[in-house]
Amino acid sequence: MAEDPKPGADLWRRIREWPSLLRQRQQREADLDRELRSHLDLEAEEQQNEGLPAEEARYAARRAFGNEDLVKEEVRDMWASTSLERLGQDLRYGIRQLRHARAITAVAVFTLALGIGATTVIFSLIDNALLHPFPYKDAEHISIFRIHDLDESGQFGRLGLSIPEFLDYREQNHVFTDMTGTGGGDVLYSRGQGTQQLYGVFVTTNAFQFLGVPALLGRWITPQDGEPDAAPVFMMNYRLWQEQFHGDRNILGTTFTLNGISRTMVGVMPPRFQYFGGDIYLPLTLSRTGVSGPDAAIEGGRHMYLVAEERRKPGVTLEAAAADLNVIAQRLAKIYPNDYPKRFKVETDELASDVVGNFKKMFFILLAAVGMLLLIACSNVANLLLSRATSREKEFAIRASIGASRGRLIRQLLVESFVLAAVGGIFGYLFAWGGLKALIAVMPPDTLPSESVIELNWAVLAFTMGVTLMTTVLCGLVPALHAVRGELHPRLKDSGRGVNSNSRHGGFRAALVVAEVALAIVLLAGAGLMMRSFFAIEDVNLGFNPRNLLSARLVFTEGHYKTAVENKIFFQQVLPRIVAVPGVVDAAEAASYPPFGGPFSEVTIPGKSHTERWEAMVEACSEGWFRTVGVPLLRGRLLSETDVDSARQVAVINQTLARRYFGEEDPIGQKIKFNTFDQLSDAPHDAYFEIIGMVGDFKNDDLQHPPRPEGFIPYTFALYGRRGILVKTAGDPASMVKSVSQAVWSVDPDVAVTQARPIESFIKDYAYAQPKFGLLVLSVFAAIGLVLVIVGVFSVMAYSVSLQTHEIGIRMALGAQPGNVLGMVLKHGLRLIVAGIIIGEVASLILTRFISSQIWGVSTHDPVTLSAIAVVLATAGFAACVLPARRAWRVDPLVALRDE
Amino acid sequence: MMDGRISTMTMTRESPNRIELLQGTLDMLILRTLLFGHAHGHEIAKHIQRTSDEVLQVEHGSLYPALHRLERKGLILAKWETAKDRNREFKYYRLTPAGRKQLAAEESKWKQFAGAIARVMWPVAGTE
Repeated sequence: MAEDPKPGADLWRRIREWPSLLRQRQQREADLDRELRSHLDLEAEEQQNEGLPAEEARYAARRAFGNEDLVKEEVRDMWASTSLERLGQDLRYGIRQLRHARAITAVAVFTLALGIGATTVIFSLIDNALLHPFPYKDAEHISIFRIHDLDESGQFGRLGLSIPEFLDYREQNHVFTDMTGTGGGDVLYSRGQGTQQLYGVFVTTNAFQFLGVPALLGRWITPQDGEPDAAPVFMMNYRLWQEQFHGDRNILGTTFTLNGISRTMVGVMPPRFQYFGGDIYLPLTLSRTGVSGPDAAIEGGRHMYLVAEERRKPGVTLEAAAADLNVIAQRLAKIYPNDYPKRFKVETDELASDVVGNFKKMFFILLAAVGMLLLIACSNVANLLLSRATSREKEFAIRASIGASRGRLIRQLLVESFVLAAVGGIFGYLFAWGGLKALIAVMPPDTLPSESVIELNWAVLAFTMGVTLMTTVLCGLVPALHAVRGELHPRLKDSGRGVNSNSRHGGFRAALVVAEVALAIVLLAGAGLMMRSFFAIEDVNLGFNPRNLLSARLVFTEGHYKTAVENKIFFQQVLPRIVAVPGVVDAAEAASYPPFGGPFSEVTIPGKSHTERWEAMVEACSEGWFRTVGVPLLRGRLLSETDVDSARQVAVINQTLARRYFGEEDPIGQKIKFNTFDQLSDAPHDAYFEIIGMVGDFKNDDLQHPPRPEGFIPYTFALYGRRGILVKTAGDPASMVKSVSQAVWSVDPDVAVTQARPIESFIKDYAYAQPKFGLLVLSVFAAIGLVLVIVGVFSVMAYSVSLQTHEIGIRMALGAQPGNVLGMVLKHGLRLIVAGIIIGEVASLILTRFISSQIWGVSTHDPVTLSAIAVVLATAGFAACVLPARRAWRVDPLVALRDE
Repeated sequence: MMDGRISTMTMTRESPNRIELLQGTLDMLILRTLLFGHAHGHEIAKHIQRTSDEVLQVEHGSLYPALHRLERKGLILAKWETAKDRNREFKYYRLTPAGRKQLAAEESKWKQFAGAIARVMWPVAGTE
């Protein structure tokens, strides 16, 4: 009837006592021994005093005492009943049990590790890339906006604002606390021994305050630097500082000659700051006429276009901001009608949308895939533990009969499962760490904002631990409750391996196998469709020949080649020299490179009226362009040398332009005007071109979109767009870069040759990269899923067979043929697999529509893919069943019957 | 009533009630023994035996789990001391205030229990 005085006080005392108990454990043992010894000695003494001889006295004392060892056991047991010592016992017991079932433990750990690892990797990616990609202060409230043309469905919308436009938006809005404008351009850095082209990012002077990222070295560019008489300054990007200047702190405060102006370097930004990918950052001073201050002379200053980023006032939503901007935009459209489409809308967006937008969908698809993988892993482990629990019923029954309480048994099972999950979690974390490194290495460039740092962070760690815990409870509790529920003692009478115990969990385990197979089918379906889509993209008809084609951009020093005539003279010298290089087949001047066309311009065709905006890409090129790129002539003729030399107003168009704007008519001889030239001060205005030829379509708006209308005019007509070259080589284009550059420099050594790359590898890297990445990752998941399913099916079948050995032995003793037994086992397994495949196929038909945005060129219900994966899984499942089935076949009835 | 030996050794788990009863009773007897002074294990065993007129034959060993349990619960304190009349050390136990309180509680419960049994066994005339 003794009660604990107060459970809380008791527990508290136990907690307080624990450290000292732990330390003094040995001392306690010695103490107890001493105490009992003194008792026995005293009793022996007394017995002696009553006349017993010494030996008998001691014997009598011990008899009166009782079993000394048992007493010590009881005292020890009582000491050990603090929960933590019990935990220690449970841990040791659990580990021992796990070591006994080595195979199952290994499989379970492997399964858990894969599931947890994959989940962690994807979560790290999503957390770092989507949720917190930018290091800027208060990045969630920063947004960008675009002028979206309602008649052009494909395009995103205009992001760049002219300077007066930018100033108007900044002054007239009511929803932003601050707004920055950024423009990028080439900046030529004159060193002692030559000129280097750097990518300079011009920012309004409030930008660094706006972004809030502290400088690593030195100071920010501040509004003071934009004052009319301020000294010219600039800041440097971390990568440039490290790679070119080796992190030398002494260059801070020194002057650099940039675009001909002497500027002081005032600071370096930290590594994570990659704003607009600039090598250097320069201040912009804006006024209504364009750029003022020390940068007034920058190239295209008046026509510079800025990308605006703004911080919304607290409480202002993206929609509210868009509405406010729309009002301003309508007003501005009346003032600058050329800059605004007939019907438009302002759309606002988060900062990351520009880069990550396309990839957002892919991330969530991957997330779903990972979820499925985790489910497969969990059901695998559950199945394994359930099977094992069945065969441990006898063990539990025995322990119950010698006094273990139900709570104790459940607790021990839970501890055991937790150990399992913990080990799985550790391996899972290691797998995640390695997997993330591998994933980043494989990821295509520009998939993520360059500022995002992908690493395993604490949030992910917590999530992993949570998943571990959840799997523990999921996997550990079910078998625990199952095994301990009901009568424990009657189990002892049963041999423990009969039919009963197998069919006890049979239904649930079967369901798990079916579920696993179905999930694997869905994963495989996704991967299979992406694979086919990827091959479809690779197969797409480009319309031109990308092999052995080299493209490069040419950058001129400030002030050089400022007129169309000078430009012509330059290229007319350069192009022949390039062609003269051994290994070069042909060369041309080009403003862009396929599969991208030239800049868009609205077009006017006399005699045609239309309501929607008509536009076309404009490529200003030399006569060799068509030969070099390999585009076929369909009607009329191509640009000739004399056309280009005399800058005749003639144009070649592509099929799409002809069909769309001329319909069935013959376009040859008709006139077309490219309105964009009306806005350039140096170009002839109101210039109509005569159409002299039509070429076949080729991909000019990326590989996924159909070709856009495009027109080709002599580059000598006006300075337009960037200057570049396309070179057709006999052999590997990459090896020709140096000699081609030298040919250019032999005409003018101050011209920078940049972005030189073979078109073919560019297409591979850029256009194929994202689908390839998605394909790769999804395939890895599907493969892991398949492996897990095979392992799961195999282990379940193997266990099932081992449990049924008794029954099989009986059957064989009663005359069943080994073949029959084999068939029985196989049928059971195959039935589950087939059921899973059917369910999985149905689920795929329903679910694959969610990845339709990533699939191109093949239907989401593609029968080839779906049937192929069914075959793959059926084969794999069959193989997984065969081995255990064979073991059943080899059962010796005598051995089986004897084995109880 | 409780003739025979109080032994924790032969108790089985099939009858948890009996465990608690016997364990609890032994605890109470130990506390009572310590009420008027300290004693070591052997003395306590002898005391219980003597004062119960040899009815309660406490197997000496069974005392020690009880003693250590009581010590852990903070109802008694233990300390090695030199015996008054000998040149030897024994582990002496003494009651704590908490132990004193517990003893009082156990005592009243036991009286209630005994009274209830007595009423059933030997009912007062007229209440049968």
